[in-house]
Amino acid sequence: MKKTLALFLVLLMAVALTACGGSGNSNNTAADSNGGKVNIVIVNGKGEIASQWEQAAKDFMAANPDITVEAVSGAVGETVNLLDKLTASGKTVTIAMMSPDSIVNKYKDFGIDLSNEKWNADTVYGVKDANGKIAGFPFSIEGFGLVYNKSVVEKAIGGAFDPYSINTRDKLKALLDKIQASGVKYPVAYQTENWSVANHYSTQFLNQAEDPNTIVEQLKAGKFDLASNAVWNGYYDTMDLLVSKQYNKYGERPLGKYYDDAHLSVGKGESAILFNGNWAFDSLKAVSGESFGFIPVPVDNNPDNPLNNKIAAGPTNILVINKSATAAQQEAGKKFLNWLVYDQKGQDFLVNQAQVISAFKNNPNKVTNPLGVAIAEAVQAGKTLPFSSNYVKVEDWGNILAPDIQKYIAQKESRADLAKAIETYYKNQQ
Amino acid sequence: MITEKSRLKSLGNQLFFTGPTIIFFAIAVLIPFAYGLYLTLTDMTSPVNPIKFSGFGNYKTAFTDTAFWESMWLTVEFVLATVIIINILGFILAFLVTSGVKMQNFFRTALFTPNLIGGLILGYIWQFIFVQTLPSIGDKLGIEWLRLGWLGDEHLAFWAIVIVTIWQSAGYMMIIFVAGLVNVPKDVMEAATIDGANAWQRLRSVILPLMVPSFVVTVFLTLKNAFMVYDVNYSLTAGGPYGSTTMVSMHVVQKAFTENIYGVGQAEAIVLFIIVAVITGLQVYFSKRMEVAA
Repeated sequence: MKKTLALFLVLLMAVALTACGGSGNSNNTAADSNGGKVNIVIVNGKGEIASQWEQAAKDFMAANPDITVEAVSGAVGETVNLLDKLTASGKTVTIAMMSPDSIVNKYKDFGIDLSNEKWNADTVYGVKDANGKIAGFPFSIEGFGLVYNKSVVEKAIGGAFDPYSINTRDKLKALLDKIQASGVKYPVAYQTENWSVANHYSTQFLNQAEDPNTIVEQLKAGKFDLASNAVWNGYYDTMDLLVSKQYNKYGERPLGKYYDDAHLSVGKGESAILFNGNWAFDSLKAVSGESFGFIPVPVDNNPDNPLNNKIAAGPTNILVINKSATAAQQEAGKKFLNWLVYDQKGQDFLVNQAQVISAFKNNPNKVTNPLGVAIAEAVQAGKTLPFSSNYVKVEDWGNILAPDIQKYIAQKESRADLAKAIETYYKNQQ
Repeated sequence: MITEKSRLKSLGNQLFFTGPTIIFFAIAVLIPFAYGLYLTLTDMTSPVNPIKFSGFGNYKTAFTDTAFWESMWLTVEFVLATVIIINILGFILAFLVTSGVKMQNFFRTALFTPNLIGGLILGYIWQFIFVQTLPSIGDKLGIEWLRLGWLGDEHLAFWAIVIVTIWQSAGYMMIIFVAGLVNVPKDVMEAATIDGANAWQRLRSVILPLMVPSFVVTVFLTLKNAFMVYDVNYSLTAGGPYGSTTMVSMHVVQKAFTENIYGVGQAEAIVLFIIVAVITGLQVYFSKRMEVAA
């Protein structure tokens, strides 16, 4: 009996396996055109705008009755990539949302050339693929820096505060002292999540070159000495200041799960400053009337250094059109991208509904959350640096290098060892 | 003598009853397992890219991945800590709630309740306790070891996971022990008492040997759960500080889904499977031999 059962199981598996193999080869006919209509699948990785995304698909379909759009959204914080999941289940995703670094790494053979699209004239943020062609449609602009609570800082300095007046490390230190003197015990609440200290804070040194890629290339070739690089050291000097026992709420044990606590502290005005991006606004849970802004992260004491006067901002989510979709689907996808840029409803969806900072000059709408406003103003005034994490493999930095950076913060690893860890990582990249 | 016809008939009978279960078991477990084995022999970064065959290279990478073995060793420490404490604590609790204390049914329910909360939610609740509640208590009462958040220290963060796991599963094991304790025959106990055995002797020589079947189950469950721990690990420390509490399941997930090396991640998962299967298999085999009849 056991034998027959085993045989049965083996047969079952064999059948299932061949079925798996079969579905992988057959090209999706279901998602293709039916009766002159084009079906496209558009994937959104920002779970927080899932309902707006769905509505956008409906509005787009109303304007383009010959296109059927299936809008899919990932859950907030989902680890497994939605594009992988849908592709593995046999669907062809027409438009995928991804981080800008994926287009040259994980999905380097995925997208089609979009450099001849009309919208390129209205943005400078189109993202290039490995061949130097624009393949990524900039869906959102985001930025990071030192988030500050306006009322706490203004109370401390006794008047209006211009965040760009803090353009040296000494001035930042003086500001922290002033805030402390005004009765705030710990001016800084430094949250040390791996992605924050690694992908965001620790990639800032790449901005010392006009094109951050040149430094990445030098690192890969083993020709960039971090330990003797003034800018690289400068950012960690500033970090030492921010995590110090004197100023940081968590200075005595700087690691831990402080993300929520740090944001609540700054939101309520118990602390004044933390390092994060415009998305932090959701976590600040601010009491009404509190307002926030960004101070550039100072790297040295030279007030003319552009790094001290600008905020890192750039495209963080890009839309890419799948090259294995049919020509009709690709056309429909391009239409959707144009709709986002030029149709009134599309513009409204992007900025007013989804509260995304648009990368396009022609979009007249403005986001309402104060951190978004600060980034949008910096973009308009030209006070931005590239969003440095777009030039590294964020998964690797968050997993492989973040522990070293966190060890440095906890003073369990020297800066020289940290430099070595980053250099070794890049040498292993070839 | 079994004829061909009756054999077919009995196969039909078996399939009628077990067939549906087998189908679902195959869909949810066997087929993914077989497909996973196939994936370990390939070089896949994403389903978007074509799959390339790579032989046993992934296993070689898995065996030389020091981070994998470090997380495996950490998991072994975690297994030792949780298996021992949960079983001892579960047994003591079971002993207490069958000894006839007042409201013992209430205590049984209350102690079991943590098990009804999912590991993820549990982790986030305890994260709040470790990051905010305990430090503020420590601050107010001047208790030095509570004043700083536990999750920022690699040793304390490890014990934080152990504590939450114990809190979650001790009640469950207690229920299994309660069932075992209730089933210890009254006449044997009475005979022991008449023979002059004191409480300790009764526990050691009568109750414990008769409880071996319960221990076989609880040790197996705690072993398996501890080796496979992921949800509490993820929601409580997420592997931090600086990756020091990354248990082996979390390492596998990171390899496969964040670093996008599916093949190596899957190969490491297979290695983990074999280790757990061998250890739990040996445990069940040897502890079964300790069972006695009343």
